[in-house]
Amino acid sequence: MTEETSIEMEGVEDPSRRSFLKYMTVAAFAAASAGALRVALQNIIPKSAGITGFPQLLLVDSASGKPINTTDLTVNSSAVVTFDYPLQGEPNFLLRLGDASGNDVNVKSVKVSIPASGGTFQSPAGVGPYGSVVASSAICEHLGCVPPIIKFYKPGTSIPNGPSGSQNTGLIHCNCHGSTYDPGKGFGIVTGPTQNPLPNVSLKYDKTSDQYYAVSMVGPTVYGHSSDLSGGNPLPSSSQTGVSTQSA
Amino acid sequence: MNNEKPKETPIMIKMLNEPRPIPRKVPDYMRKKGGAWYWTGAMVTTAFLYEVITGLIILMYYQPSQAYTSTENFVNSVPFGSIILTTHLYGAYMMIVLVYVHLLRNLFVAAYKKPRMMQWLTGVILLALTVGIGFFGYSMSGDVLSADATDVGTGIARGIPIIGNYLSLIFFGDGTPVSLFHRMLGWHIVLAAGIGLLFMGHFILAEYNSIMPSHKDANYKVPAIDEEKPEYKPWYPNNLFYMLQISMITIAAILIITSVVAALGSTVPALFSPFPQVSPNSPLAQNVPAYPPWFLLFVYKAVDFSFMAGPGPFYATLIFAGIPVFYLLLLPYIDRSPSLKLTDRPITFGLAILGIIFFVGLSTWGALTPGVSIPTSQVLAFFLLPILIVIPLVHYLSKNYQRTGMDAGHFSQLAISMSLLGVSGFGLGMLIDALIRYRNPVYYVPSILMAMVVALLVTMVAYTIWDSRHSVEKKHYKPLSRRMKNMLGGAFTLGAFVLITVIQPFSATSTFQESLFGIGLGIVILIAAANLKLYRSVVLGE
Repeated sequence: MTEETSIEMEGVEDPSRRSFLKYMTVAAFAAASAGALRVALQNIIPKSAGITGFPQLLLVDSASGKPINTTDLTVNSSAVVTFDYPLQGEPNFLLRLGDASGNDVNVKSVKVSIPASGGTFQSPAGVGPYGSVVASSAICEHLGCVPPIIKFYKPGTSIPNGPSGSQNTGLIHCNCHGSTYDPGKGFGIVTGPTQNPLPNVSLKYDKTSDQYYAVSMVGPTVYGHSSDLSGGNPLPSSSQTGVSTQSA
Repeated sequence: MNNEKPKETPIMIKMLNEPRPIPRKVPDYMRKKGGAWYWTGAMVTTAFLYEVITGLIILMYYQPSQAYTSTENFVNSVPFGSIILTTHLYGAYMMIVLVYVHLLRNLFVAAYKKPRMMQWLTGVILLALTVGIGFFGYSMSGDVLSADATDVGTGIARGIPIIGNYLSLIFFGDGTPVSLFHRMLGWHIVLAAGIGLLFMGHFILAEYNSIMPSHKDANYKVPAIDEEKPEYKPWYPNNLFYMLQISMITIAAILIITSVVAALGSTVPALFSPFPQVSPNSPLAQNVPAYPPWFLLFVYKAVDFSFMAGPGPFYATLIFAGIPVFYLLLLPYIDRSPSLKLTDRPITFGLAILGIIFFVGLSTWGALTPGVSIPTSQVLAFFLLPILIVIPLVHYLSKNYQRTGMDAGHFSQLAISMSLLGVSGFGLGMLIDALIRYRNPVYYVPSILMAMVVALLVTMVAYTIWDSRHSVEKKHYKPLSRRMKNMLGGAFTLGAFVLITVIQPFSATSTFQESLFGIGLGIVILIAAANLKLYRSVVLGE
């Protein structure tokens, strides 16, 4: 009891001293906790899988391993032709666009609007001898459905639950929720519910060898990724990517 | 003969029918100098909690399908992975050491006697579980040492008659590496849960029976129960702050010791290396001697005894690990005398001393001559000589020291600070040696940090010696004034802020710089503990 009273008296003498030591202890404890917390937090955040830049990849036939030439691509093909780019598990359509009578269409670079962000981007023009070859992400920007649920319908065919035959100028339609994109106009939105056009793949065409390369991506980010270059493993090869054909 | 005693109610039933409030208040001397001996259990618990937290973090990265690669990746590429994995290993070592300290302390003060028999039994089982979980954890890294340890473990399991093969399948899987590491991860976690649950029982029993009071308070007789007295200080803040202080010192010790050893890097022998060794498939694997974890070295040496070659490793384990555990389990029923005095229990005392000698001796022997067969004559000499020396010595001591007694508090404090000083002094020596030899500036900072630790410990040793000399003639020394303590607290906290800022830029993926970070963080925690002690002394008057 006497000990306690003496402490009290000391406290009355200078109450700030008691709290000073208390704050000093709490502060030292906080410093230690902050240090420990930093260790734990920085440790449990995993390194994001991915690559640092867009690779330039030659498009090759995944079955034969031979480079894709213009004649390997059918105008308005009803088969689903895709290749992975820039990471594994990121499929992209490879299309050779034509009109209703099957002649190549020269695809021009256009300004595509992105309703989700209110911005725009300039789509890459078609490549190849006729400027008719284009590519885009094959993952629907609405909720991530992948081919063959989302696919290209050739001009004039009517799309189930979508635009009728006369309205179809060669469109990509997703059967999950009805989003429709126009590959001839930078894969812009024709009908919702999507708020984003499909991300375009910039292609390069080498005239002398008649070969195609994927170079980069423009437009919105690939669905389900925080950036086009992260959230997946790099492709097995750093020089080429395989094009696979799923017949309709 | 049979109307001697009324039948006693089992403790479980007593706890249900006559509950007592927990947590219990404790007398002041348990928080004073030397009071830490009443809290060895709290130290073990802190180490266990540290293991659980770091273990859960490692669990997020460990892949049984590629045990070695994922472990190496965690150490080398994941930020602060090196600190977390090495302190998880050394925290386990620390926990095992503390479990042995806790066991020996309670054995020497006769805490296994009535009414704490059940506590003692759960404690011995917890020891076995702790060594078991340590074995599985050690074997999970997938390096060459873990492969050796797994081989020995499988060999022991297979050697058990009749059920051996089944046990080996249950514990080590179907023989494929994936199954092996998956099982070991599973058992590692199952045992952790088992330790947690059994600890709860152990702890509730300890609270129910009260902390074992000092012998004087218990009048040197069973049952040693600390009845709560009105002058006991409240649990909050007095006990809580004291316990926090002990916990912080334990964690700081884990961080600092591990980081110093990790900073020494490849100069540390494989047996005590905090890092995984090379992969068993590497050509370098043959250069690494086949050691088990150090806490199993004693069994490892016993397997080498030439007379154990025929019966095999299971029987060696049964004899050299099974018999001691069996003895410890039976101890409360063998030594039933009511006296708590060590001098009244010469047999228990003598056996405990012999146990320590055999354990340390066998372990050292195993470390020095790994895998070398030992002829029976040498084994006999190893076991008989200590017996011939210790038994008469204990007999003499118990005869002559029955009256006088020695200052155990100072003795133990001195022993601990000196052994810590030995380790840190060794570390400092190695660092300075490296500094002189390689003239590499990276050794400056750790040398300075290590010198600080050594200086701190030297002060502690000197103070303990000084204090033990002076406490005899009734303490006369003037305690620090309050103003002084306040200034000290301010300086400490300033130091903590400076230090925590200094260590922030260190790379989180370089094992060496992580070790420096670990030492720094450990010192900041020590500072927080020191300030807590100052606060307790100024505000709580302790």
